[in-house]
Amino acid sequence: MSEVIVITSGKGGVGKTTTTANVGTGLAQLNKKVVLIDTDIGLRNLDVVMGLENRIVYNLVDVVEGNCRIKQALIKDKKYPNLCLLPSAQTRDKSSVNPEQMKKLVDELCEEYDYILLDCPAGIEQGFQNAIAAADRAIVVTTPEVSAIRDADRIIGLLEANEINKTHLLVNRLRMDMVKRGDMMSIEDVHEILAIDLIGAVPDDEQIVISTNQGEPLVGSDSLAGQAYMNICHRLLGEEVPLLDLDNKNGVWSKFVGLFKKN
Amino acid sequence: MSQPVILKSNPHGINLILDKNLPFAELKREILKKFKESDKFFRNAKIGLSFEGRQLTKEEEYDILELIAQNTSIEIVCIIDKDELKDAFYAAKIKEFEENSAGKTGEFYKGTLRSGQVIECETSLIVLGDVNPGAKIIAKGNIVVLGSLKGNAYAGAAGDETSFVAALDMDPVQIKIGSVIGRSADRGPLFAIKNRKKVMEPQIAVVMEDAILIEPIIKGLFKR
Repeated sequence: MSEVIVITSGKGGVGKTTTTANVGTGLAQLNKKVVLIDTDIGLRNLDVVMGLENRIVYNLVDVVEGNCRIKQALIKDKKYPNLCLLPSAQTRDKSSVNPEQMKKLVDELCEEYDYILLDCPAGIEQGFQNAIAAADRAIVVTTPEVSAIRDADRIIGLLEANEINKTHLLVNRLRMDMVKRGDMMSIEDVHEILAIDLIGAVPDDEQIVISTNQGEPLVGSDSLAGQAYMNICHRLLGEEVPLLDLDNKNGVWSKFVGLFKKN
Repeated sequence: MSQPVILKSNPHGINLILDKNLPFAELKREILKKFKESDKFFRNAKIGLSFEGRQLTKEEEYDILELIAQNTSIEIVCIIDKDELKDAFYAAKIKEFEENSAGKTGEFYKGTLRSGQVIECETSLIVLGDVNPGAKIIAKGNIVVLGSLKGNAYAGAAGDETSFVAALDMDPVQIKIGSVIGRSADRGPLFAIKNRKKVMEPQIAVVMEDAILIEPIIKGLFKR
């Protein structure tokens, strides 16, 4: 049975698109058939993060308006043939699509794919309503900042009101050094405030910026963020994976030092 | 007359306009039909009732009241005669009843209120869950939160400053009782989160000398 997951946050810039790209790619690495839908009409960038911008011919609005068939608009990933992207339109706005059309579109995709990931725009207006209309699960992305957490809280309330009760929390861009100094909320702090199922935490990793700029999601790589995203994919599939120790940021060297400290 | 029974609302309740000539048994059936049709609309409403168009005996009036009480969720608070003076008197009575009942009866809400969610309540309100920052609860009576109150609470919304706000964990952004407003201390949001209480300490907020006073609920507090 296929699952439809919306990745949302309320606040902008917390990592929805990066999460969509990495979780989607990760699930594809685990041999699932995945399609990513960019619902941010007018401000599309999932295609850029995936490195597929140059392949766009048709987009979401073209499909909805019947200018093309879904198959024509879907872009196959460079590396994983079981991963597809349905890009958003850049020259239109959110009102070009309505929730019913989204549901119909997603229903059609469900026949062929295991996972449908919807990259939600920031805000709680029409774009948000479109993105969540067809979803049966949600990943709420937040950073450990009060502004992002307030918005996440609002979003969780709206998801509940729309009867999406399977919501997962993803704490993004965590800086363990700051948490230790008491200058940043810890995973536990955020988890306690928002009180929904925690699906994972991703450290603030410069590798993310590098991979985004290269248009290649880093999920599955050796980097801490890459491992964290892979763990999240496993948890989405229902596997029990312990939280990654985000502390060992310096890799081998800190482990080495840690060995001495213990003795 | 095309309709034997007509329901007409007025500021204090409903006018029941009745056909003069219909036999009483048949009239009762018509009344029941009318109220059933509009039961959803009036659900649990507390209203005053007045009769028009037909002189009823005390027994007949009682019969009709019984009929409404047994078959609908409407609560008839009193019967109003067509008399200006009495009209005003009963209006005041109903108002008094509403004001008094605000603090005496209550409603339950189960679940956590998240940012942007608002609950308004004509009586007192008991929340079984947390009230997060950005959420708001408004009650004409008292407010009790069996959880953390971290958002806004407004008790005595009709102006009653004897109302109170109680919570198992009291950490509100703002509390308003009647027309008195109290707000949280000025400290950074991160500070508040890092220094949150690990153990719940039930507290109660009341108005004292035009200010909001918050006290821990300890043994013997209510005996004083």
